[in-house]
Amino acid sequence: MMEERQSFIYKLILYITGFLLFCEWMRPMEQISDTNDVRVFFIYATFCFFISFLQVPWYLSIPLKGLGLAFIIDGLYIAERIFSRDWFSVLYEQVLFNIQMIQSQEWWQMTPLFRSLLFLILLWLMSYLLYYWFVVARRMFFFVVLTLIYVTVVDTFTIFDGKWAIVRTFILGMVALGLSSFAKVMEQESISFKGLQKAQVWALPLLAIILFSSAAAYASPKLDPQWPDPVPYIESAAGGAGPGGSGSGTVQKVGYGEDDSRLGGSFIQDDTPMFRATADGERYWRIESKDTYTGKGWEDTLEEPVTSMDPQNISYELFTDNVEVEEQTVMIEMSRQASFQKLVYPYGLSSLVRFPNDYELLVHENTGEMDTVKGDSPAKVNEFVANYEYPSFEYNQLREAGDDDPQEIRDQYLQLPDGLPNRVRNLAAQIVEAEDNRYDRAKAIESYFSSNGFEYSTTEVPVPDENEDYVDQFLFESQLGYCDNFSTSMVVMLRSEGIPARWVKGFTGGERIDTRETELSDGLQNVYQVTSGNAHSWVEVYFPEIGWVPFEPTKGFTNNTDFYTDVETEEGEDPSAAPDSETPEDQMGNPQQMEEEESSDAAGAAGSSDQRYTWLWVLLSAILVVAIILYFTRYRWMTALLIRKYRKNKDEETYEKAYHYLLKVLDHKGFKRKPEQTLREFAISVDQHYQSNDMRRLTNHYERVIYRNEAQSTHWPKVTELWENLIKKTLS
Amino acid sequence: MIGKEEAAMLSLVALLAKGHVLLEDVPGVGKTMLVKTLAKSLDCDFKRIQFTPDLLPSDVTGVSIYNPKSMEFEFRPGPILGNIVLADEINRTSPKTQSALLEGMEETSITVDGNTVPLSDPFFVMATQNPIEYEGTYPLPEAQLDRFLIKMKMGYPSAKQEMEMLSRTSNGHPIEGISAVLTRDELVDLQKEVLEVYVDRTVNRYIIDLVTGTRTHDGVYLGVSPRGSIALMKAAKAYAFIHDRDYVVPDDVQFMAPYVLSHRMILTSEARFEGQTAEAIIDSLLSSTSIPVKRNISE
Repeated sequence: MMEERQSFIYKLILYITGFLLFCEWMRPMEQISDTNDVRVFFIYATFCFFISFLQVPWYLSIPLKGLGLAFIIDGLYIAERIFSRDWFSVLYEQVLFNIQMIQSQEWWQMTPLFRSLLFLILLWLMSYLLYYWFVVARRMFFFVVLTLIYVTVVDTFTIFDGKWAIVRTFILGMVALGLSSFAKVMEQESISFKGLQKAQVWALPLLAIILFSSAAAYASPKLDPQWPDPVPYIESAAGGAGPGGSGSGTVQKVGYGEDDSRLGGSFIQDDTPMFRATADGERYWRIESKDTYTGKGWEDTLEEPVTSMDPQNISYELFTDNVEVEEQTVMIEMSRQASFQKLVYPYGLSSLVRFPNDYELLVHENTGEMDTVKGDSPAKVNEFVANYEYPSFEYNQLREAGDDDPQEIRDQYLQLPDGLPNRVRNLAAQIVEAEDNRYDRAKAIESYFSSNGFEYSTTEVPVPDENEDYVDQFLFESQLGYCDNFSTSMVVMLRSEGIPARWVKGFTGGERIDTRETELSDGLQNVYQVTSGNAHSWVEVYFPEIGWVPFEPTKGFTNNTDFYTDVETEEGEDPSAAPDSETPEDQMGNPQQMEEEESSDAAGAAGSSDQRYTWLWVLLSAILVVAIILYFTRYRWMTALLIRKYRKNKDEETYEKAYHYLLKVLDHKGFKRKPEQTLREFAISVDQHYQSNDMRRLTNHYERVIYRNEAQSTHWPKVTELWENLIKKTLS
Repeated sequence: MIGKEEAAMLSLVALLAKGHVLLEDVPGVGKTMLVKTLAKSLDCDFKRIQFTPDLLPSDVTGVSIYNPKSMEFEFRPGPILGNIVLADEINRTSPKTQSALLEGMEETSITVDGNTVPLSDPFFVMATQNPIEYEGTYPLPEAQLDRFLIKMKMGYPSAKQEMEMLSRTSNGHPIEGISAVLTRDELVDLQKEVLEVYVDRTVNRYIIDLVTGTRTHDGVYLGVSPRGSIALMKAAKAYAFIHDRDYVVPDDVQFMAPYVLSHRMILTSEARFEGQTAEAIIDSLLSSTSIPVKRNISE
């Protein structure tokens, strides 16, 4: 009899080893993931495993485990009183938000609460699974091996030291495997557990062997690693572009950040909306500039002076009155997710017309950073309208500006680190060799990147090593990067040629999502959606008497600053300037050219219908995948359904169906009963394979039903148990 | 009985099913010893008839002799009136004498000189015959063969078994040491209990499928008669009973079928020329007839 043979103590030991093995999985988490404290999870796992072991009915165990889960979530994340209305609404919002994030595949957006919740549910499920694996099916070998692999992998590739984990796993694994094979042999030979239990001698040989072998293994001399450390090899095999050095080059999320002291590393795209701009055309949205290049990134040494300015009259000028301008108005609406407490503004900002009265505007005069302060602390301004003078730079004016920079500009914007490799300077000199004025030199450097094998990429971008220069690495080694690489390199090369330049941060124009009439402008205005993904950096070059002119070296981006040739005054102008006439901003989406864009809108519509089809395909293939999965796992889920059904019905017909279902499952697993094979013969062959006698016992009962025409209802619990065991064994 | 467990078990089946056994094999493999052992282990009246070509029917049934003292004919019972009768080398005698025995086996009584004498209960005949190819034999007519519930062969023992046999018989024959384990009344009770063994319709269906198979088989000239079906069921019941079950499972039928059916069918001459045997045909039928594994089979 099953219950007699599998004593309680035996089950308990087996289950505890399973639990301890599982703990080996959780132990490294604190070191290898951003989990701060795994104790909570340990406690919950213990709780779940304990309840699973007691095998309390589901209507008790599920609420108990659920309550445990709720308390942990409450204690860790939710300030509201537990089970209050607010508590639930916080939970609901969190879950809803995370499900949206999952749907849009933005995994990194998932909040800690939700991740913990998922992990706790995983623990819950594991408690069931391990109970089944270890106690019911007694198949722990797979789990033991998996645990060993896990520990070795974690030990090899992370900072986790798995020395003792390996030893523990080994001993636990041997205990579990020894016990289970012990029990299997006993069952095979039909030895009762009861007699043995009292003597308890049976466990001694097992313990002795385990102790001896682990002691021997521990004491014996170990070889040095036979292979070199595989990690560098694997990393180089994986493309050689993995973040090297101190490991700070982890993957970051794209977006606007304050700290640029260490540039490089890969980015994940992120489409979190930052703000909406209603403007006449696509603009670069400036936030601040930085002046000091360290060899690794940018630092700001010119924070001061900070001046409080009247929003109605902002006296921060990037260019002089010599530049031709056009008065324009823009409305900026910050999104909920945007968190920076400063202005994003277009070039030529002159005044803020709609700006909350209780906010103060603090302008860093050197960098152009405009902090918005409410009371004494920085605060976000959700919406404002700005007047600005949209500049158009005239080519000849730029070319004739000369090199007569004011001393303070020279002092501040020609800085270069001492360690800058000479080949960077040489390259810069080589690029600008043929050009005779500042503008053309800057243009030469700007366009150098587009034609010399540089590639734009947000992934696999290296971080410079301790003794490596960020620009040097990009120019000569990786030639792979994103805006920071391009813009920094351009600034450094310009400075090495004695041209004052600085590095500017902000956002690109964003995506045009609407066109509408506004009260801000006479005609139509475009609405642009700017997201985190639009965060950008570019270059400003100083021209005497003109000011700071934006340049765009990054491959794949166009400078939407307006440049023009004054045909009237400068007839016979160098024709080479013509192709330079850049992208007249109107082409990028000026409302006046809506008609032209209609066609592309139509294309867009076609695209969206394509997208619909894509979705249809995705849906269909998802259904197909689900159907295939359902088909291949049909015995598993059907069994689960049938077990529940058969537990309820206790008539002979059910028994017959259940038995024949078992035959079917066995058939599926390769045990086909031939039609001329009697049930007994079949049962014997099945039992031989599984090394038990369950099938014979079950078949005996079944024979009584069909050949004896006898009710088996008195044996029902036994029969059901046998049946379940067999089916689970077969499916495992 | 060394190496004769199966033969012993089959004999027991026949005994419990109130049937008779025909042992067919070459001399000296232990046919007689088997019967003697069985008789000795039961507390029964054991008779032996050695069939010879000159044996008369009255030597089997018994004769009425005139008793001058009482001035009457007095019936002297023949060996057939014992409980367990060993009919040794039954095919060595004339068909007339053979049928005296065989008819007695079918009826429950014999008639001698106008006197009807009931046969004793239990009544169990174990006949032996040498394979019919041997010289000087009168083969049993096919129609009479099915008076025997079971026909079996003994076969030679294995080398190991024969070694064991030699060492055991070196100091006197072990049969001397056998004592009875069952009385006559107990045996009769057991025979009644066997009748109680339950045979489900599903199993009967299987028996009928098998028997029908012999009738439609290409190599069979005359298939198994309905008497054969009944015999198979009885044998299966007794077999189940021996295995401590009060119901018959298809395994019982499968096990008994070769012994019960093979001597009840006549092969076509083509099949015989091809070297087919009845046992092989039964085997092929067993491996082609599907077993009923569900209830409520519609008849």
